[in-house]
Amino acid sequence: MRLNLENFTKCFDGTPVIEGLNLTVEDGEMLALLGPSGCGKSTTLLSVCGIYRADGGRILFGGRDVSALPSQRRNVGVVFQNYALYPHLTVEENIAFPLTVQKPRPSAAEIARQVREIAELIHIDALLGRRPAQLSGGQQQRVALARALVRKPDVLLLDEPLANLDAKLRLEMRSEIRRIQLETGITAILVTHDQVEAMSMCDRVAIMDKGEILQIDSPTQMYRSPANRFVAGFLGNPPITFLEGRTGPEGRFSMEAGLTLPLPSHLRGMPSGRPIALGLRPEHFGHGGQGQATGRVTFVEPQGREMLFDVQAAPGVTLRSIQPTRDDVSIGDEVTWKVDADRMLAFDAEGRRL
Amino acid sequence: MSSFADPIVDGARRARPVRPRRAPVSRLGLILMAPALLLLTLFFFLPVALTGVFAFTDLSTSTGIGRGDYVVTPTLLRQLGDKGLSDTDAEAVARSSVTVDAAGLARARAAGVDDRFLDEIERRFMGRDYEAPAGFVRDLRGLRTAPRRPRDLKSAAALFETSVLNQRFATSQALAAQLEAMAPEIAPAVRARIVEASFTGARFTTENFRTLATQKETARLVGNTFLYVGATLSLFNVGLGLFLAVVLFYMPKGASSLFSTLWLLPRITPVVLYAVMWKWFTWEGGFLPILADQVGLPSFNYMKGSVVTAWATMITLNGFIGASFGLILFSGALRAIPLQQLWASEVDGASRWQQVRRIILPQMRWPILFVTAYQTLSLLSSYEQIWLTTNGGPGRTTSVWALEAFKTALSNYTGNLEYGMGAAMALVLVVVGLALSLIYLRLFKFSELVGRPKIEI
Repeated sequence: MRLNLENFTKCFDGTPVIEGLNLTVEDGEMLALLGPSGCGKSTTLLSVCGIYRADGGRILFGGRDVSALPSQRRNVGVVFQNYALYPHLTVEENIAFPLTVQKPRPSAAEIARQVREIAELIHIDALLGRRPAQLSGGQQQRVALARALVRKPDVLLLDEPLANLDAKLRLEMRSEIRRIQLETGITAILVTHDQVEAMSMCDRVAIMDKGEILQIDSPTQMYRSPANRFVAGFLGNPPITFLEGRTGPEGRFSMEAGLTLPLPSHLRGMPSGRPIALGLRPEHFGHGGQGQATGRVTFVEPQGREMLFDVQAAPGVTLRSIQPTRDDVSIGDEVTWKVDADRMLAFDAEGRRL
Repeated sequence: MSSFADPIVDGARRARPVRPRRAPVSRLGLILMAPALLLLTLFFFLPVALTGVFAFTDLSTSTGIGRGDYVVTPTLLRQLGDKGLSDTDAEAVARSSVTVDAAGLARARAAGVDDRFLDEIERRFMGRDYEAPAGFVRDLRGLRTAPRRPRDLKSAAALFETSVLNQRFATSQALAAQLEAMAPEIAPAVRARIVEASFTGARFTTENFRTLATQKETARLVGNTFLYVGATLSLFNVGLGLFLAVVLFYMPKGASSLFSTLWLLPRITPVVLYAVMWKWFTWEGGFLPILADQVGLPSFNYMKGSVVTAWATMITLNGFIGASFGLILFSGALRAIPLQQLWASEVDGASRWQQVRRIILPQMRWPILFVTAYQTLSLLSSYEQIWLTTNGGPGRTTSVWALEAFKTALSNYTGNLEYGMGAAMALVLVVVGLALSLIYLRLFKFSELVGRPKIEI
């Protein structure tokens, strides 16, 4: 079911934290709300499920305005960060809970059938007799997911569902949640501060900052072509390096510290003397290109398959490069590596993409 | 500190046979605990131990706490008569005889009887015995120096009488010897019984418990205590406390803290003041009766006017004190439920009532059990509010075990304070309390509840 937020506004104690937000999640799509803590992503999610009431604008489920409905009547499924399982109920009772509070209440056989069905989908049919305290974090998460889905909700909302899991489980649950979402074809919103989660699980990613959506795009497109400096800086691990400087003559870029690089080809015609910032991702330094930079290696971080190098190209200017693991470079070495100037991202003084 | 890193020291230590290390006893800890231990001994262990001892005595105001004497009184003879002492034996004990001897003369002289009269008695009747005082009086009347007034004559004659009655004997042997001399026809077994019964001091006995087990009053006291504890606990301490906690939980923060403070007032008000306020509230001319009068309801002293209103008053005023305890405890427990759980239940479609009934209340099991257990014990032993208000009235209809124990031992109108009986009643309370504690601990798997792990987060 298609989900729309139109001019959605939310205030706390009279101060607006989100103002005039517009968002559309297509039917069957999984969208990530990605942003740093306090950016308003959880507030948006809690407003969609009705725990917070919108202070302005409309929330539409498939064209139906639900802004005035209490959460009980919105038919949404929510998975909370701490799973919020009911500790006094067994797994089966937990999953059955949304069905048992329905009016009219379905028959016991019908409830049992639906619980079993969803438990099989989520691979927890062996755990039905246990209590939440007897489950591992990953199992608790699956139960929470089953409970959210058993009522066949219009929208599935996931609030940092992987934040409390260890790294290996997180990897496993990432694909599990995506599998279940695809199998059920449910419209879903994932709230997360983890870019990897957002990019790997979702069809589209909406980056939020200070209550505003800065860009909505597919993960690849957003990484390749961020709309502004915040998005460019937020996506990418290890993060992008920003170089502050001015345009120079002959399509070059120079920094006060002394480093000069060629501008990306589409900006070569820019008049000189303009203040701009170039963003250089680590994978575009040391892998070929027209430009080059020379400097001393100040730090080497082996990561197994790859190695991360910090290169001081000028006083106070550190470029970062990620390359397949190599043994011929160590701290203190002087290196001259290529810079892929065409793939550098340029931003104006206000942080807009050029 | 010795260095653990030193390999030589370490090696030397290992070479010696290993001795089990004693748990270190901190002297400072003992010193710090000493005042508490002392106070605990003085004001808890000692009173409990003494209660245990007193419970098996018939200690009362009339026995006193000193050493007792052996006295046969007419009252005692009557009581023994009720228990099967024959009339002839009783008469034999009460019998008095007259002997003219040096001791009698000395008594008479000390009492100020005319010396010439006494000299004549000594000359004429010295060494004579009379079975009954009447004969002696007749003989005295014949004397020349006898007093003119019959009353003086009789009182002088009485000084020569000897009787067991109303004489204090320090030991049982002394009384037994005197009894044997005065009434040799009484069988030794009967005599022993009389001597035994004549002791005025406290005795060790299980009579208190026998009385408690057999008297009719006990059943009513137990019933009252059950009703009082049960009703106060279920209606107020748990019922009202839980209701208020849940209602306040859903109220805005400012209002909820104001109301919780208001509900604390009955607990922080000094108990006497609180009792007096309830009197003003319920007595004729008080707030409630006046209000009832205005509305046309029966208006009288609700606190003591009828059994039903007395019970209602007593339970309510005790319940208001206890409700705040539950309120605070339940509020804390409610706040410990993660907010997301409540959100989740709302999103799952649960109404307010379903949320309370299906999510909140089941998780309140432990605090409810705790309040029940704790308040049962404290209600069982509390009596001061009842004492200060209905005082067990009207009649003794609202009296409970603890109040009755207190009155028996320490405060009653007749002035005969039965310490032994009161201690026995208190001991029953202690035993019941201990038994209940053990049952609560066992039945509700206290350790398991306390140690139950929270959801893994």
